[in-house]
Amino acid sequence: MVDRKKLEELVELLESEFRDKLSFSISDINELTVEFDSVDLIVLCNFLKDNSRCRFEQLVDLCGVDYLTYGLTDESGLESVEMSEPRFAVVYHLLSLTNNQRIRLRAFVNNKSLSVSSVVDIWPSANWYEREAFDLLGISFSDHPDLRRIYTDYGFEGHPLRKDFPIIGEVEVIYDPERKKVVNQAVTIENRQFTPKVIREDLRYE
Amino acid sequence: MSERRSCKVNFGPQHPSAHGVLRLVLDLDGEVVQKIDPHIGLLHRSTEKLMEQKMYNQSIGYVDRLDYVSTMCNEHVFSLAVEQLLGITPPVRGLYIRVMFDELTRILNHLMWLGAHALDIGAMTVFLYCFREREDIFDCYEAVSGARMHAIYNRPGGVYRDLPDKMPKYDKSKLRQGETLKSLNENRQGSVLDFIDAFSQRFPKCVDEYETLLTDNRIWKQRTVGIGVVAPERAIALGFTGPMLRGSGVAWDLRKKQPYAVYDKLDFKVAVGVNGDTYDRYLVRVAELRQANHIVKQCVKWLRNNPGPVMVEDLKIAPPRRESIKQDMEALIHHFKLFSEGVCVPKGEAYATIEHPKGEFGVYMISDGANKPYRVKIRAPGFMHLAAIDEMARGHMLADVVSLVGTQDIVMGEIDK
Amino acid sequence: MGIEGILNEGFITTGADKLINWARTGSLWPMTFGLSCCAVEMMHAGASRFDLDRFGVIFRPSPRQSDVMVVAGTLTNKMASALRKVYDQMPSPKWVISMGSCANGGGYYHYSYSVVRSVDRIVPVDIYVPGCPPTAEALLYGVMQLQEKIKRTNTIAKESSKSLNNISG
Repeated sequence: MVDRKKLEELVELLESEFRDKLSFSISDINELTVEFDSVDLIVLCNFLKDNSRCRFEQLVDLCGVDYLTYGLTDESGLESVEMSEPRFAVVYHLLSLTNNQRIRLRAFVNNKSLSVSSVVDIWPSANWYEREAFDLLGISFSDHPDLRRIYTDYGFEGHPLRKDFPIIGEVEVIYDPERKKVVNQAVTIENRQFTPKVIREDLRYE
Repeated sequence: MSERRSCKVNFGPQHPSAHGVLRLVLDLDGEVVQKIDPHIGLLHRSTEKLMEQKMYNQSIGYVDRLDYVSTMCNEHVFSLAVEQLLGITPPVRGLYIRVMFDELTRILNHLMWLGAHALDIGAMTVFLYCFREREDIFDCYEAVSGARMHAIYNRPGGVYRDLPDKMPKYDKSKLRQGETLKSLNENRQGSVLDFIDAFSQRFPKCVDEYETLLTDNRIWKQRTVGIGVVAPERAIALGFTGPMLRGSGVAWDLRKKQPYAVYDKLDFKVAVGVNGDTYDRYLVRVAELRQANHIVKQCVKWLRNNPGPVMVEDLKIAPPRRESIKQDMEALIHHFKLFSEGVCVPKGEAYATIEHPKGEFGVYMISDGANKPYRVKIRAPGFMHLAAIDEMARGHMLADVVSLVGTQDIVMGEIDK
Repeated sequence: MGIEGILNEGFITTGADKLINWARTGSLWPMTFGLSCCAVEMMHAGASRFDLDRFGVIFRPSPRQSDVMVVAGTLTNKMASALRKVYDQMPSPKWVISMGSCANGGGYYHYSYSVVRSVDRIVPVDIYVPGCPPTAEALLYGVMQLQEKIKRTNTIAKESSKSLNNISG
């Protein structure tokens, strides 16, 4: 089981190094999350990889998150909402094999530029993950060697995992016998909601 | 002297090796690979976005279909993530059943891998032998959940139901009667546990058969030794996990280092390779087949002696028994709310991970207190392995690319999500 | 598929048809278009227990050497043009078996932005095999149904108006 004390020591080390640039939380299941603004990303990542008490040699996961509808149940009419807080964040999961511990980093992305520095030079495994975050959410990574779409169709427009992109999409394909090729057409089904989103406060978890 | 130019060859997306839809654009200088550019996304079915539209229990089917050769392991991770957010643990018997099926799934995955890898390299007999054993495990899946492949057996809170007392038998027909029928039904006279026990007794001999055909085979060795060598530090930096990492000499197994379920109570060994080439990874996976069988035997023994519940008793998470719905009002109300609205998981985030047959399979889940997940990210082990194929294949020949795709145990369902 | 009815119905023409259909159904060579999970069940159908080889079915990797295409799995928008290209490369007579609910109508992923809601938007389908995934036995049954369908085709003999009236009446 994960040792909470080890995580607290790690928090102390990071606090002494970075003062108040970072904010920490340790969940009930003993997972440490560090939140910060994306300008401090490269410095923090280099420290976490090289410092002997951290030694996070492996980047296990990198994903983007869109916080547009977080905590909201009525999700209509959100396209024109201007968020004052950062809308996107990039979440990194790191693993240290030598010290047998994990850490989660959350870097908030600037709403205007939607750009974060790439960590490919620190951890080569970030390459395809950053391409995925770019494709599905539209977060661009500066200094990435080859930033192009990875999952969506050739010539796809839009960023599917954003909360304002409909699940059914905008185009679908069909075979056109006259032109003898597969072409795009507007989507013909309707966006159907199966279960409404409900947020219920359960007293047991407070 | 004529000018030599490299040519671009398109490998896939439809090709005979059984790895699904993978498109590789190869830059070749004669037979030697200069560069590989994998094009993925030909099976991108937007699992993550669809999971945001459905309740937690409705999404278990999506996770099944990610790595479709090892289905119950995927369900295990997903259920683990939801349980971590809810703050519950299944009962011990449920955990033992989960571990037993995890190891049976590991056997399923490695048999498929071995069959497909050998078939790609040219050894076709192994494919048929491996699928013979796979059919028996599919029978176990079917007995316990009703479906041969996508079982939806692991659910948040435990497993769907306890192991049944009867195993389906072959019926009499024109082609099958008398002695043939008797020999086919020999292992199916008792419960599912007896069938699994009989399977685990005869499985080591089957692995011996596969090893006789391949391990000391000159052709096999020529096709696999020295192919795709990855140094240990480079493997860690590239994000390798599971047999790919252990084949390079790094002794990292989540079942030993960060144990989950009941792995800390079981006795098993972890196989680690030496050279980091395709042959070592083959040996690691075959050793894992034997160890998985050993774990199954221990689980069967424990399950025989320890009856008990397999799902949490909390009605706000697990549905009530059907008999009680017909008599008890609260049970009916709980059933209604669970299947119309779903479980409302408290706010938070969790990253659950297990030692999946392919590596470290992770599910990162963010919940904002609703009945549907806010964001689900699937960390597929094959994604990182396939990203490294460029580096692994440079300098090798075209035929070795097929060996490499095979050794990485690529299944496009999990890579493309 | 291919030639349809060139001579009037008679003993020799129906006999010739029977021979042609027997040859076609006895050695249906599928091309595997295994896309996702259904491909595993298709492999099981071809492997030890549900042996398809005893039906004369040999899986061919190349479209130019096959009669039937078994589309097993989810077809995505990105893959659709490749599917059509491969279908066009098959020589006629050719048939298509759509295997699994994703290929039949989008299936579990019907509401997704990147999935084609049924293979028959791209290629004409002869047999739909339902299931998610269909058991290997179900695929076997689908292949046998295709054999029945092929036995009903008239290549040489023209379909007589008498039999057509019986069908519609």
